[in-house]
Parts: sequence; structure tokens; C-alpha cells
Amino acid sequence: MIFRAGAIAASILLLALATPVRADEQYFGYTYSAEVLPKGQTETELWATDRQGKATGHYDAQDYRLELEHGFTNRFTASAYVNFDSHHIRGVEGLDNTERNLAFQGLSAEFKYNLLSPFKDGFGLTLYAEPGWSRIHSVEGEKGTEYELELKAIAQKNFLDDRLIWAANLTLEPEWERGSAQGPIDGAVDRIWAKELKLEASSGLSYRFAPGWYAGIEGRYASVYPDWTHGLHRETYAVFAGPSVHYGSGKWWFTATYLPQLFGSPSPGRSLALDEYEKRELRLKIGYNF
Amino acid sequence: MHRRTLVKILPFAALAIAVPGNATVYLTVEQAQSVMFPHQRLTPVFRELQAAEIEAIKKASGTAPLSKQLQAWRAQDGGWFILDRVVGKHEFITYAVAITPQGTVRDVEILDYRETYGGEVRNPNWRQQFVGKRFGAPLQIDKDIKNISGATLSSRHVTDGVRRLLATYQLVLARA
Repeated sequence: MIFRAGAIAASILLLALATPVRADEQYFGYTYSAEVLPKGQTETELWATDRQGKATGHYDAQDYRLELEHGFTNRFTASAYVNFDSHHIRGVEGLDNTERNLAFQGLSAEFKYNLLSPFKDGFGLTLYAEPGWSRIHSVEGEKGTEYELELKAIAQKNFLDDRLIWAANLTLEPEWERGSAQGPIDGAVDRIWAKELKLEASSGLSYRFAPGWYAGIEGRYASVYPDWTHGLHRETYAVFAGPSVHYGSGKWWFTATYLPQLFGSPSPGRSLALDEYEKRELRLKIGYNF
Repeated sequence: MHRRTLVKILPFAALAIAVPGNATVYLTVEQAQSVMFPHQRLTPVFRELQAAEIEAIKKASGTAPLSKQLQAWRAQDGGWFILDRVVGKHEFITYAVAITPQGTVRDVEILDYRETYGGEVRNPNWRQQFVGKRFGAPLQIDKDIKNISGATLSSRHVTDGVRRLLATYQLVLARA
């Protein structure tokens, strides 16, 4: 079934190959670079993220994302995503068993505005906003409505004639998850919204070792602050780091990043944060421009 | 890494690798020479730049040569044809600069541009901005050379390259 999902997504991309395209690629799997699409250019991207491993039982999940992005000016781009999830959860403490091969997970949009060009201004800076709606919890695999707003500051500095690229992101992501609560006296069920703030910082360094080819490393710090409107209290955090490889030909590009979790606020008996995160992630992005 | 994980991800990579790249050669070296120095015989003056020369070029132009090999031809009228390349978005951009006997830019030609996008650096109006420039001119994007929006990397690198070749002419070829 997962293969079928990949085949469907690949077929969609093959349709995109019918016309000449130009890459506005991302050099890292998780850290955005500050470059944006030029005016009038349209790009499609496919993301596939494989997440594996909890403290107990069997956990593997895949996130698929199909994006269409357009450059409205040389500084401003907007895009729309369709997201899909797969979950295979068996015997994981605190999670219900779930077997779902591929399901529509939600929709999101992305808006990027470039303030400084890494090529012209010596330092790249882009602001990013991504509102989203989801119907399946990405970690638990359970159905439930959730809204989120991902806000990002993207920095990029190039060295060695633009052959060594450093990028860093600071991300704030408030989320609102719909739930229900039973009144203590009358037993009436009220709709409530659980609030959560995700704070992330990521960075990557990648070197162009051959025409079109980049290899580098990437690191990511992720944390969660529940009920953040009533004071900031970090519930959990995790630090990931791993290798990243990127290739771009001018018409298309791909990026693959493997990020194992190095450490985090411990789950019982472990030094990793495995309630909110997984032991390892592998992400592949492919992009084509029309 | 689990074999199963690879099995899931590899089809996407295979799809990507199956797609060919893009390469366009607009002018051969001989064609560029006949365009830039019509009816003139050009004599190759190839040489390897010394470390001190590279350092001097870098100091004077702000950019170091990508290669030690200097590929230059001397024209009958005393001008120079220099072949060079700079870093493009994915591949190298091959270009040539023609320099008059007085040390000013006669012409700039793009011989080989392999990117699908950013090919505006071949636009004659954009290249015309370099004509008449000599060593010491700023030759900087948004100063005396207009940026090409959406092709900033290519336009900046070609501009940097022309500035470097004028320094190479001044510090190496003019003294030969």
C-alpha cells in the first residue's frame, strides 16, 4: 500500500516532467534556505518522511506531502500542500494500535517573503508562515481536528563562491487541538481546544563537492510547550542530527536527510524523548519547476 | 538503516535520477573568437598562474581564480581573448572576455550555460554593460552592473568573473 502511495505520487510528478523546469531547491531536509522562486515560476515538490521507533512496541509512520508553489514576485512565493499519513503502531505504551496505510491527513499553505538575498546582500533572510489544518494526529495516528500556524525566520549565509551553504531556521508553531470535556456536575460534554506551542531551531551546512551535488550535515532541536498561553513550561525536547545529501540539475532536484535522535528529555528508562518524537527520521524531497 | 525504510524511499530517488539534466552550448571557443575578434588571428598564450599572481588577482578583484590554468589568446591588434568559467547554480558557466589593446572590455560572451533558468546573462543588453570597463571599475551588482532579478547568482558570478579577468589582464597579461 505504501508502494502504491509512492507510485501515485511519482506518477503525479512524472506529469510535471513534460515541460522544462527550473529548480528552486532546498539544500536540507528540515532546514529551509532563504532562496525563493523567481516571479512567474511554479514548482511542485514531493516530500516523504519515514519516522521509526518508540520506547516500546512497533512504531513506524510515513508522512507524504505534495506541494504546488508559485513565485508571485521575485521576493514573494505562496504554495498549497496536500498531506497524507501512514501509521503502523503495535504495542506502543500510551498509544492505541493503529494500522493505516495511507490516509488524507490535512491541508496547509505556505507564504514566504524574502527580505535579503544570500547572493546579492551577503546574507539571506526570509520570513515564512504556514497555516495548516489536519484531521489525523501525526504522532498518535488518531483522528482529531487540529489547526496550526508555523512561523519561521530563515537565515542563509554562503561561503566559498556560493559553494558552501549555511542555513538556520527559528520556528514558532502554535497548535490548537479540538477535544471534549465532561462537566463535573451536570455531565454535559463541552468542546475544548488544547493549546500547544512547538519551538524549533535547526541548522545545516552543506558543501558543493561536484557540479550539482552537495553533502552536509543538519541538526534540529525541537520542543513542546503545552497550554502556553498560561505560561511557558517546556514539556519535552529532542535533538536530532545527521547527514544530508542534495542534487540539483537545473530542471529538478532532490534532497535526502537522515536524522537520528541524539538525546532528549527522557522517556522512562531512556535518554531519548520518545513520546512526542521517534528514534530516527529519514526525509526525501523531490522538486520540479514548471 | 532498515531495509524496509530504503525500500519505501528508493523509488522516489530512482525517479529523480532517471530525469536527465540540461546542458546548452551556445558558442564553441572558435565561434566566440570569430565573433569577438573577426578576421584576426589569435595566438594562444596558455600558462599556469603562480601562487603570487593568484594572490594578487584575488586581492585586486576580491575573487580567486577557480583554476591555475590561464587560457588566453593574443589578437593581432594587441587585444586579448580570455576563456574562463564561474560557478553557476548547479554547473559551471563558461564565458569569454575580449579585451582591447587599451585594456578595456570589448565584449563578453557566454559560451556554455547549463541551467534551465537564469539564462538572461546571455542577453546582449545585459552584457553590453561591461563594454568599456577597465581594471579598477567597481563591476558590482547594483552599482555599475544591473542585477537580473531571479537570476542573481548567475549575474553576480559572471560580474565577479569579468572583474577578476580584468585584474588578470592588468597584473599578468599586460606585463607579459
